[in-house]
Amino acid sequence: MKLLKKPPLRVLLFSLVAMLAVAVTGTAQTQPQNIEVRIGAILASNQNDEFDARLKGLEKQLRVLKYRSYRLLTDKSENIPRNGNKVFEIPGGRSLMVTPQEFQDNRIALQVRLTDGKKPLLDTTVRIANKGNFILGGPPHEGGVLVLSISATVQ
Amino acid sequence: MNGCEDKVASIERWLDGELSGAESESLRVHMVACAGCSEARRRLEKLQSTLTDVLLSEAQPVDFMPFWRAVQLRINEKRPWYQDALDWMRGVLPASRLAWVVPAVIALLLAGVSLESYWRGGRNAFATVESIDAYGRNVALLREYDTKTTVIWLYQDQEGENEAAEETAPSGPAF
Repeated sequence: MKLLKKPPLRVLLFSLVAMLAVAVTGTAQTQPQNIEVRIGAILASNQNDEFDARLKGLEKQLRVLKYRSYRLLTDKSENIPRNGNKVFEIPGGRSLMVTPQEFQDNRIALQVRLTDGKKPLLDTTVRIANKGNFILGGPPHEGGVLVLSISATVQ
Repeated sequence: MNGCEDKVASIERWLDGELSGAESESLRVHMVACAGCSEARRRLEKLQSTLTDVLLSEAQPVDFMPFWRAVQLRINEKRPWYQDALDWMRGVLPASRLAWVVPAVIALLLAGVSLESYWRGGRNAFATVESIDAYGRNVALLREYDTKTTVIWLYQDQEGENEAAEETAPSGPAF
C-alpha cells in the first residue's frame, strides 16, 4: 500500500526533467536555427604526389578519386539561416549557391547550384547527415580538376 | 491465586514442556506451596488429558496420507522463474525505491532513442542525391562504401567548354 502514497518530490522533479528533455530534443530536431555550411575547394591533379596536410581529415574520401596530388585552395564556412541561401565564390570564377532546406531524421537537405559566370553547370539537391559531407568534382582547373567538399552542421 | 495470575501461563508452558529446567523447578516449588496454582495445574492437566483423548479417538479414522502427499508436493514443487524474479525484485526494490522505476524507465527509453538515432545516423551517413540537373552535361554518381563517400562528378562536355583548362586536365577520375 506504500506505493499508493504521495510519490517523493525528487521523483516528480526527475520525471518532469526527463519529460522536458524529451520535448526539447524533439523540437530541436525539427527546428534548427542555422546551418553551418563549409565548402573546401581542392585542386586534384596528377602533376606530383603532394598531399596537403590540411586535408588530412578528408584523405580517405579523396583517395577514392585516384588522383596523385591534392591541394586545398580555399576553405570557407558560413552560417546560413533556415530557408536562406549563400553564394560561395569558387576558384576559377565559379560560384556555388547553397540553400539549406528541410532537416529531418538528423539529415539536412541542401540545394546546391554551381555556376560558371552566368552559365549554370549543375543544380542538385543532396540530403546529408548532420556533420556529414559529399564531394562535388569535375570542373577543370589549373591543369587538374576542382573538387569541392560540401559539409553541413546544424547549429 | 492472589498475585499468581501470570503463573497460569507458565503452567501451560510447563505442561507443554516449554520451560527450562530452572524455570520448571521454580514453578514446581511454587505449586507445592500455592493451593490456587496447584488447583490450576490439576485443572489444566485434566483439560489436556481430555483433549488428547478426544483428538486421538477422532483422528484415528482420518486418513492423513493425501494431506501429507499434498504437503510433500508443495515442498518439491519447482517455483516458476517469474516468482523467483518477483521475490528478487521485492528484495532489491522495496516500495520506497519502486517509485524511482518510472523515471528510470523514462531515462532508459531516452537512452534507447538516442542510441537508435546514433545508429541510424551511422547507417545513413551516406549522402543521398534527390535530384540532379547538369544542363546536358555528363554526370556520374559514385558511392564508396568503405569511407561512406558520395561523389557527384561533372564531366567536361564535348563542345569545347572550358578550353582554357582542358589541355592538361584529365577527363575524369579513375574511380
